[in-house]
Amino acid sequence: MTSRPAPDPVFAFELNGETVTVSAPAHHTLLELLRYRQGLTGTKQGCDKGDCGACTVLLDGSPVLSCLTLAVTVAGRAVTTIEGLGAEHRRAEGRPHPVQEAFDRSGALQCGFCQPGMLLSSAALLRKNPSPTADEVRAALSGNLCRCTGYAQIIEAVLRAAAVERGEDPPAPAWSIEPRDEEP
Amino acid sequence: MLRMPRFEVSCPESLPEALALLAESELDTRVMAGGTDLLVALKNRLEVPQRVVSLARVGGLDHVTEQEGSLAIGARVTLAQLGASDLVRRLAPALGEAARSVASPQVRQVATIGGNALLSTRCRYYNQSHFWRKALGFCLKKDGTLCHVVEGGKKCVAAASGDTAPALLTLGARVTLESQHGVRALPLLDLYRNDGIANTVLRPDELLTELVVPAQRPGHRGAYEKLRVREAIDYPLLGVAVRLDVDPDSAVVTDVDVVLTALQAKPRRVARIDSLIVGVPIHGEAFEAAAAQLGLRARDQCHPVANVPGDPEYRRKLVPVLVRRALLRAAGAA
Amino acid sequence: MAARDRHGSGPPFGDVFKVVGTSARKVDGMAKATGEAVFTDDITLPGMLHAKTLRSPHAHARIVAIDTTRAAALPGVRAVITGRDLPGRFGVLPWTQDETALALEKVRFVGEPVAAVAAVDEDTAIDALELIRIEYELLTPHFDPLDALRDDAAPIHDTRERNVSKNVLLEFGDVNAEFARADVVIDEHYSFHGTTHAAIEPHCALARLGADGVLTLYSSTQITHYVQRTVAKVLELPEHLVRVIQPCVGGGFGGKSDPFSLELCVCKLACITGRPVKMLYDREEVFYTHRGRHPMQMHFRTAATREGKLLALDARTVLDGGAYSSFGLVTTYYSGQLLAGPYALDALRFDSTRVFTNKPPCGPKRGHGAVQPRFAFEVQLDELATRLDLDPIELRRRGALPAYTETLNGQRITSNGLLACLTAVERASEWRVRRGRLPFGVGLGVAASMYISGTNYPVYPNEMPQAGIVLEANRSGLVTVLTGSNDIGQGASTIVRMLVAEELGLALDQVRVVAADTDLCPVDLGAYSSRVTFMVGNAAIDACRKLRAKLTSALAAHWETFEGDIVLSEGEAFDRKEPTRRLSLKEAIAIAEAKYDTLATAGSYNTPKLGGAYRGGTIGASPSYSFTAHVAEVRVDDETGRITCEHLYVAHDCGRALNPMLVAGQMDGSAYMGAAEALMEDHDVDERGLHRGPSLLDYPIPTALDVPGLSSLIVESIDPEGPYGAKEAGEGPLHPAVPAIANAVYDAVGVRLRHLPFTPARVLAELEQQRAALEGRRARC
Repeated sequence: MTSRPAPDPVFAFELNGETVTVSAPAHHTLLELLRYRQGLTGTKQGCDKGDCGACTVLLDGSPVLSCLTLAVTVAGRAVTTIEGLGAEHRRAEGRPHPVQEAFDRSGALQCGFCQPGMLLSSAALLRKNPSPTADEVRAALSGNLCRCTGYAQIIEAVLRAAAVERGEDPPAPAWSIEPRDEEP
Repeated sequence: MLRMPRFEVSCPESLPEALALLAESELDTRVMAGGTDLLVALKNRLEVPQRVVSLARVGGLDHVTEQEGSLAIGARVTLAQLGASDLVRRLAPALGEAARSVASPQVRQVATIGGNALLSTRCRYYNQSHFWRKALGFCLKKDGTLCHVVEGGKKCVAAASGDTAPALLTLGARVTLESQHGVRALPLLDLYRNDGIANTVLRPDELLTELVVPAQRPGHRGAYEKLRVREAIDYPLLGVAVRLDVDPDSAVVTDVDVVLTALQAKPRRVARIDSLIVGVPIHGEAFEAAAAQLGLRARDQCHPVANVPGDPEYRRKLVPVLVRRALLRAAGAA
Repeated sequence: MAARDRHGSGPPFGDVFKVVGTSARKVDGMAKATGEAVFTDDITLPGMLHAKTLRSPHAHARIVAIDTTRAAALPGVRAVITGRDLPGRFGVLPWTQDETALALEKVRFVGEPVAAVAAVDEDTAIDALELIRIEYELLTPHFDPLDALRDDAAPIHDTRERNVSKNVLLEFGDVNAEFARADVVIDEHYSFHGTTHAAIEPHCALARLGADGVLTLYSSTQITHYVQRTVAKVLELPEHLVRVIQPCVGGGFGGKSDPFSLELCVCKLACITGRPVKMLYDREEVFYTHRGRHPMQMHFRTAATREGKLLALDARTVLDGGAYSSFGLVTTYYSGQLLAGPYALDALRFDSTRVFTNKPPCGPKRGHGAVQPRFAFEVQLDELATRLDLDPIELRRRGALPAYTETLNGQRITSNGLLACLTAVERASEWRVRRGRLPFGVGLGVAASMYISGTNYPVYPNEMPQAGIVLEANRSGLVTVLTGSNDIGQGASTIVRMLVAEELGLALDQVRVVAADTDLCPVDLGAYSSRVTFMVGNAAIDACRKLRAKLTSALAAHWETFEGDIVLSEGEAFDRKEPTRRLSLKEAIAIAEAKYDTLATAGSYNTPKLGGAYRGGTIGASPSYSFTAHVAEVRVDDETGRITCEHLYVAHDCGRALNPMLVAGQMDGSAYMGAAEALMEDHDVDERGLHRGPSLLDYPIPTALDVPGLSSLIVESIDPEGPYGAKEAGEGPLHPAVPAIANAVYDAVGVRLRHLPFTPARVLAELEQQRAALEGRRARC
């Protein structure tokens, strides 16, 4: 078959609060569009097969996997990436999103590679449920693999963000320092 | 990154438009709803279509409605919606459990009940990259002639791996298939074929548009048990759905259904079990004994093969355990 | 030499640390939280080409012919290379350089790189790979190390007569004599399976040849320096024309501490095409790249007195090395050398043999070489405790080495918090009231370990410092730190910033760390062997002391007072005796710059001479050792065989916790990783040599729902060698997780697990055997 390939579809969608019109081959994923055509490299690629969650973005406010989303299918919808997550808070209140602040504060960011996805899943959870239990946090993040932290400081961070937003004291971390004898 | 074959995408805005696209036969076409299964298959070159018809913009098909106890579920209802639906929780608890057990929150956000019901069969020798399969020498299901699960096997034994199908089957669900030639409704069980390559009777020009769960009897209970390595992300290594009908007055079992998945290409209904448990009151030792007996009968009818990961002998050992647990949990969840 | 100076463990000014010991935020925390942080694949250069690798579909085969003409002719293809284009042999250790960037005469595992293509886009590169024709002559593959060791086995490396990669036999004390006088001997076989790092970021490399002749390589590596040396060697370039830059790295765990094929391929392709070339591995390729935990088969015998005094350990180990050497020589030593602690032994013998097999090469994974024998030994100790009817914690207490001693293989121990670790986990787990008294199916188990804080054995022998630091104090009030060290998420740059701020009395934002760029930074050997905080920290303090001396002497002259009275603290300088004399550090720097000219100093660290005076005596010799104890709490489902690790109590002696939040992160991450290896991960090939599941679906790493509760209990022993008393925390806390879980399973259900992984199928089979044995016994009664 030698028919000329169809021209790339052109479509518009809302990206981090702004309407963009893009052209992308039909067989490209949203992940590819964001990372390599829009320059939004905060969205990470860990497995490209839907197993790790590093490429999580918000589609109309809900976390989805951009590696398993055909780019053209987001036409007319709203996509939020990690670059857009903090933007509204920075604009409105001059501070990052509470989960961004809390992840940094709790040590939840080690290598930082799973975190953009983790933060978007966390932000979506807190929007739906401002007072989650630790188990609810675990369930909400169960599609975001982290290889560094063992999740303890991540869960602490989400609970911290929730507490701070409610105006409460953040939870104590699960780690502690043993009392020590006099120094030599 | 992983590349997909070049294809065109059509995004019809309505069901008739979608059906019209499917009726054109010159392009090899795949239908995509959530896309979470199809895109992986495309990246693995398991599917190499010329065109993908996306249902993303088709209106409707996203209803969960009750009519006199019967549940109508549009094929585009997501697993997240299904898992969170109070109607489903109340009328078809096993289905809700099954939906919540699928993959991860992000996948459930877009994966649909229609897609899950039509999930392609899975096998450790099939769900691999093109490189891996080529190194293997390919297999019966795709690009090859040999079955690596059953030596000399002529029939593909890839496993039904959808979590919702067994639950729907215990509930007696029916599916509606539409094409430009008309509508046909059939029991879900008849949608499936025991063939790992062509595991459904859906024609290329047809769309699965709706699932109907008939009204259950008063005292209906259900549960879904899933064997997997992790508490999220994984496909079932064994799935067990049960339906227990219990007389509300006497608390005695009046009917039972047990369907297993991840064994062969078609979910398997366990046969000859009524006599073991019908008439037994759900509270007490007799029920526990009956549930255990029923589990053993299920095991005797199941012969797991090395199609999905995990030791088949172990999966067989787990059949009675999961069946019993599902029954006990269903009985307890009044 | 200043580099070997100890700097003391106390605060630089007064009695209180200002920065050290705080849970200060990471230098790159907010950059990572906002998506601003740049990882290698986030970089795009103008005119950049994309490269892909063609891999072997055979486990063992001779390459008869390669024809790349059709691939090279494909429109959009800019270059195709094969082994002949990059024939230089390399390997991270200079003694065992058996790798080439692309297979030369033979392929040795499924997935081995054979050719590479650079093209205008990835689609074209992939299409081109399909056009490369290779003729192979198939050879018999070996997947079982014992099979590979047979006399008639085909050699995997033609240069070697047998498939022995390395053998180490060492004996300390008289093992036979100790066994002869022992009251108790435990003699068992154990096995540890393969596991891999599975960092979430796949390997990526991007190279560019500048018009000035400088080849710049961006790579997701943990070892910039060794990569620079390797690129120079294989591409036959002078080292000074190779610049290696490590952007943010998305996790390493040892999986990015070898020089890799992709780094060499993009460099070569960039040189050929004159354009920047990037290669990003897909997830499956990461599994083939591997360098993960060596599977080990271990026959261990432990001799003890009836009081529980340990007399001797006799360990025979076969290591499955996979197809290449990697760090395997070191792994082979570590499999025995690190057994000489944390318990006193009168004799130790180990006979470790690393074997080549036709599998992805093994290498260093977190806890390199020592996690497997630690599993065997700590389970064996539990068996000994059972035999002697001793509390397993008590047995370990009795055997614990003291602080400031030497092991029988010549390893110098300095501070030692093992007893405090045991006490911490005993208390936190309520061991005394719960162990042995929990209902059937629930149990507690203990294990302990020690690990190195770096080693005095550099990868290539040299007398130069192992870590270097350059500081520049700028009149703007900023101190810039140049360090070759690799921050791979563990917080290396954060720790350097904290140490410099402490030493010079600066606010944290007055210290900027520039790291891991071989053009800008002095050499550091890299992020492996748990060496970074220890060595780079010491080097930083060394550099700071020299800079501080200039600042204080300039201020003393300025104020006409004594240097010893000058205090630098929290962004200010003042005279302790006359506190009204006070300047900002910005002003202080300006005064010093006026007096001494541009303010820059260098510092470095090298280990003291360590290790026993025998061949291999320096391997495993560390300037200080960390100590760890775990108690695992498990629940065993006796119908499904599934083990749930409910909780891990992790106590770790890290010397001083420079940043407790980061220490806890390392402890959590280590412990969880060990638990996952025990319970769900398995890196293996099938009977054809095909990987059993090269994806994050089929190689399951835990989700947030699959991890134990973690209680990280930081024990501080204040070590005289480390920076302000710090030791390592990044690897040691992994070791006890695996045996602690095994020992907890014994407490829970009475089944002794000696073979990993503890899959439900295996556990259920063990439970069934136990039941059958019980019933058999009952039947006989």
